[in-house]
Amino acid sequence: MPERATHQSKAGTMPIIETRELRKVFRSVKRTPGALGALRTLFSREFVDRVAVEGVTMALDEGELVGYIGPNGAGKSTTIKMLTGILVPTSGHVRVAGLEPHADRKRNARNIGVVFGQRSQLYWDLPLIESFELLRAIYAVPAGRYKENLAEFTELLEMGDFLNTPVRQLSLGQRMRGDFAAAMLHDPRIVYLDEPTIGLDVVAKEAIRTFVARVNAERGTTFILTTHDLADVERLCRRIVLIDKGRIIYDGQVEQIKSQYGTHRTLVVELTEDYPAFAVPGAEVEARTGNRVRLRFDRRTVSADVLIRRVTEAYCVSDVSIEEPELESIIRHIYVEGYTDPEPGSGAAALPHPVEA
Amino acid sequence: MNAAFAPYVAFGQKAFAREATYRVEVFTNVGSLILRVYLLRSLWTALYRQNAAPPDIPLHAMITYATVALLMSLVLEIDGSRSIREKVREGSIATDLMKPISLPLYFFSDGFGQTLFHALMILPSLALALLLVHVDVPSVATLTAFAISFGFGYLVNFFLNFMMNVIAFWTLETFAIQLMVRWASDLLGGMLLPLAFFPGVLGTIVANLPFAAIYSTPLRIYIGELPPSGWAAAIGSQAAWLLLFAAAGAIVWRAAERRVVVQGG
Repeated sequence: MPERATHQSKAGTMPIIETRELRKVFRSVKRTPGALGALRTLFSREFVDRVAVEGVTMALDEGELVGYIGPNGAGKSTTIKMLTGILVPTSGHVRVAGLEPHADRKRNARNIGVVFGQRSQLYWDLPLIESFELLRAIYAVPAGRYKENLAEFTELLEMGDFLNTPVRQLSLGQRMRGDFAAAMLHDPRIVYLDEPTIGLDVVAKEAIRTFVARVNAERGTTFILTTHDLADVERLCRRIVLIDKGRIIYDGQVEQIKSQYGTHRTLVVELTEDYPAFAVPGAEVEARTGNRVRLRFDRRTVSADVLIRRVTEAYCVSDVSIEEPELESIIRHIYVEGYTDPEPGSGAAALPHPVEA
Repeated sequence: MNAAFAPYVAFGQKAFAREATYRVEVFTNVGSLILRVYLLRSLWTALYRQNAAPPDIPLHAMITYATVALLMSLVLEIDGSRSIREKVREGSIATDLMKPISLPLYFFSDGFGQTLFHALMILPSLALALLLVHVDVPSVATLTAFAISFGFGYLVNFFLNFMMNVIAFWTLETFAIQLMVRWASDLLGGMLLPLAFFPGVLGTIVANLPFAAIYSTPLRIYIGELPPSGWAAAIGSQAAWLLLFAAAGAIVWRAAERRVVVQGG
């Protein structure tokens, strides 16, 4: 894959997505429980404010593929809604491809594509191809361009077999592929992906990921990916933005967060005999199934080769392997402990309070 | 074709095609239509035999009125904008707002496509019904005036339904309120019986309600209760109601849109 721009915007290039101190507060009428309370709610002028997004500042360059990660209710979809223009920010500044999305919603809509894993945009009762034709009319895609895109997506997503099948008869994997094509037929500059691989099997997931990586590399389309499947992020994104309780707690390279937090490794040892009192100094037994033992160790205090030697000297071993920590466990750790910046001033601040994972 | 309208023409076509996928429903409708036409004839014949007939509407005109009203209802009862409330409840209205289109126009063209399909399906059943019941066929001029008036009635009805459905943005559920409005418009609009049957002051009141623009005006033109000299004024008042309803619909829609974009639905 060609080298892509990092999140540090280079001098002279304007970011395609830019937010400054973006804030969204939802106001609702205060509810009192009970039947009398419901009556009171009707006439009440008391409000409860809930801050969904608090001071989000970020900049994305054209062609970036960024993972926007956070627990449920962290403010991810609220941010995306403000970027797509269907939600007006309470305060702050937002620019997407030079437009203010909520003030210019329809023009902004031409620049963006959206894919929701949980919600199809396809016409349920009609063959897939008819939904594509409808989108062609909506976005006034020139006939030649439409044909090229359709041919390319049909090939990349292997949709040839079910283009004429009514959407309601498609499998989830087929439908998602259709939704991806639908979101990109009008050559959007930015595509928002919201849980795009949810519920898919491994093969379908991989097909979708390959497609996204390829569109990003070949067309320079900017992607924002929100997902709970961090394997998507690991596979696709070089940069992640972590959000929690409406605030950005980390914005930087995936690699950096991995090397910073990936201080622990796991040594998987396959023993030839059953050793009830198996123990190795410098590592703790994380799990044990039959003769297979998982040893967790800190690579700053003990190196892998030293540890392997200690194990093989004391026990009969048929196989050893080392596992890198997954992004998922690192991020879980950050949400529990908060992010601590190794070099203050270069990233986001630490989260002052622990958060339930 | 103007590119700005191309999406809406496409919406109409897709709605037409979508309706066509439910064929069984069409056949049941045709069957029940024939039955209803026959029942209406029997009902009004019996009523006229037992009671003094109203001066302006002889029995054959009454049967014509009831049959045409029934056929009109098959088209007017299609609530093209009902998908608004499903979209609001499911939250998919958010993705629709992410498209570069006018949603009210989308709902209108989608509804129009459905209507057109059902209107075409009525034709064979209409032919069958005419074998069972004698219906007066007026002059070409009257039929033209009726068609124009029916067009206005269709639009007034669309905006009425549209506003009812948009209420879902606040209440999520609109079933009760829509049922009430539907009954009111069927009764006060002249679908169930001619407004001439309403006595005295009541008759004057219902004749001046917006509901009369939906069924009563085109039907009065059709059966000849309204002479050609009165057509212009009657259609003019339909147009006035249409403007009022369209303006109100636009205001309600703006408020609904504002509610979504400010409060997040």
